[in-house]
Amino acid sequence: MKKILWIFAFITSWTFAQVNVVASYTYLGEITKAIGGDDVNVKVLASPKLDPHFIIPKPSLIPTLSRADMLVANGAGLEIGWLPPLLRNANNPKIAIGSQGFVDASQAVALINKPATVSRAYGDVHPEGNPHFSTDPHNIVPIARMIANKLSNLDPQHHSAYQNRLADFTTKWNAFLTQFDSKMHSCKGKKVVQYHQLYNYLFNRYGIKIAATIEPLPGITPSSKHTMEVIRTMQQQHVHTILQDPYHEKKSASFIASKTGANVKVIPHDVGSIEGTETLKTFYETIANLLCQ
Amino acid sequence: MIKKIVGLSFAASATLFAQSDLEQLKTQLAQQQRIIAALQQRLEELETKQSSASAAATANVQAPSSTFDQKSFLPDIALILNGSAVGRNVNNSTYESYFIPGFGEFDPQEESEIPYNKNRGFNFNYAEIAMHSTVGPYFDADAVFHLHPDEFEIEEAYITSRAFPYGLRAKAGKFLSDFGRINPIHQHAWDFTSQPLAYEAIFGAEGLNDAGVQLQWILPTDAYLMAGVEALQGSNDVSFGDIEKNNLYVGYLKTGTDLTDNTTLLGGLSIAHGKNEEGLDTDVYGADLTFKMMLDSYSSLAWQSELLYRDKDTSQGDQDQAGYYTQLVYDYNQNWATGIRYERLYKNLADMPHDLDRTSAMLEYKPFEFSKFRLQYAYDRSKMFGDERKNISEILLDFTIEAGAHGAHAF
Repeated sequence: MKKILWIFAFITSWTFAQVNVVASYTYLGEITKAIGGDDVNVKVLASPKLDPHFIIPKPSLIPTLSRADMLVANGAGLEIGWLPPLLRNANNPKIAIGSQGFVDASQAVALINKPATVSRAYGDVHPEGNPHFSTDPHNIVPIARMIANKLSNLDPQHHSAYQNRLADFTTKWNAFLTQFDSKMHSCKGKKVVQYHQLYNYLFNRYGIKIAATIEPLPGITPSSKHTMEVIRTMQQQHVHTILQDPYHEKKSASFIASKTGANVKVIPHDVGSIEGTETLKTFYETIANLLCQ
Repeated sequence: MIKKIVGLSFAASATLFAQSDLEQLKTQLAQQQRIIAALQQRLEELETKQSSASAAATANVQAPSSTFDQKSFLPDIALILNGSAVGRNVNNSTYESYFIPGFGEFDPQEESEIPYNKNRGFNFNYAEIAMHSTVGPYFDADAVFHLHPDEFEIEEAYITSRAFPYGLRAKAGKFLSDFGRINPIHQHAWDFTSQPLAYEAIFGAEGLNDAGVQLQWILPTDAYLMAGVEALQGSNDVSFGDIEKNNLYVGYLKTGTDLTDNTTLLGGLSIAHGKNEEGLDTDVYGADLTFKMMLDSYSSLAWQSELLYRDKDTSQGDQDQAGYYTQLVYDYNQNWATGIRYERLYKNLADMPHDLDRTSAMLEYKPFEFSKFRLQYAYDRSKMFGDERKNISEILLDFTIEAGAHGAHAF
């Protein structure tokens, strides 16, 4: 009987010792799970089906943030429209911006498309640079390293466990990257049209050319004038692929496709955003398969 | 003979040696020349580097103004502008004298308090400057300056704690009370241009906005549960206004839960207890319920209702009055939204009308996230002018601009 009690006490103390981590997006949650293993309890705020800029700040997310020991955010302004009011209302100094429990993943990667001049005349621009760096799988390991270091600082008891999982994850991920790179190599030089500047990091790495975006400026709904321009550009440059994210309206893309004979492909923007992308690997594999068919 | 051969071989070997010496010397010379060239190049490189470094150093010397640069400590600043064009079946001087029967009276001695869309024709309602800054590890500071064409008003100015444990947060200063659903929301973020009748009747045009302190607590539960208390001066003279000492206490409980992945319910109960200008008790009870269904990233349907009940003790006896509004707003996409609202003051003093109501409909167009145009029609049966009750038909087109710091979207 005593033994059972002891075991029970041990188990409860052990579950209580878990670090409560909140990730803003699913891919960050997946990386944290890989590094944290059983030592962390991970919750994700945003639904991957929605536009990452416009997550509805549901009150049900407040208690989750209120009890978190660590918050992993994408950063670079991607959450600016929805996370600040939630953070303010969660009354949790442990995860306040700049505190030990706050992780800004954008600090781990080199940002591109940093605008030389910032004005809302250019639409919803991010002064820090393009925040959609998760579309390039080469950015995953630096983020994982950052999360592992933060976890080690926050929970020094499990320092070696985090570092071991990081080493393991890095080896496996690098093996995956070799395979992924060779797959992506086959579509080097391909020209595409995308809705938003969502896949720039991926295209940059693999030499894919962006002929146009369906929205005239970031965050501005397509106009008929701009749509006609896109059609003209596609015809001139012989572009046959339109990449559509899962959350924007699909009418513009299908209209452009009907005028140009191009294919519309719905490309995931985050883990779990479309069917068959439930893990980090399947997320990137799905992108490669759709893009390089 | 042998001597000759030896001599010859000597000579040959000497020339041979001399020749190989020469070759060696030549290669050595070439090598040295190469080394010299390389050294010269390095020297040149170093020289240019040094000169550019010293140029940079002098540049720094020439620009000492950045030494104590404070730009990065500037607060986040937002500028909000609102103006409108109004068509109304009541002329301006009559409209200024309106009052809601049973809830207020028009006093010709006092200036009328109609903060928005007062005139037929064009109105510039306000320019608002909102600032937010972190003061240190322990406090944030916020200020909202509300500028009318002929008035400067500190709408809000308060500090908020940053480091309280256990899900607690404190606020002190002048702020909009978190009583109810719409009270803490600024006019530019409302779904309809006009303030709900029940709020106007019970708290006046400014809402419940007062100096005081606030403490809020997020309960450690799985569902969202927030409890808050406020101690306020009670300068709101529509329901409170005892001037002898601070007199107003507000408490509320708010909860929210997800019914499905895309459907959320938010509800709250509030109470405000204070002393009115006669020094007697006034209690205001509030209940609010919001039901929001997210159809996709940009489209949603929200049904929001609120009820206010006031129990005011006066020397003439106990006065019970109440009103509610209920509204349905459909966000079609990022650019378009539409909504209808019905509101009614259903409980009034015995000798006063009980059928005071208003119906509004609006259509909103947002060319971009931070700019908004709204067309609103309202049919208002809640106003009196002198002894006469007159229904108001009003059509209005207004614009709202939010420039500067990114205002996040509240739920």
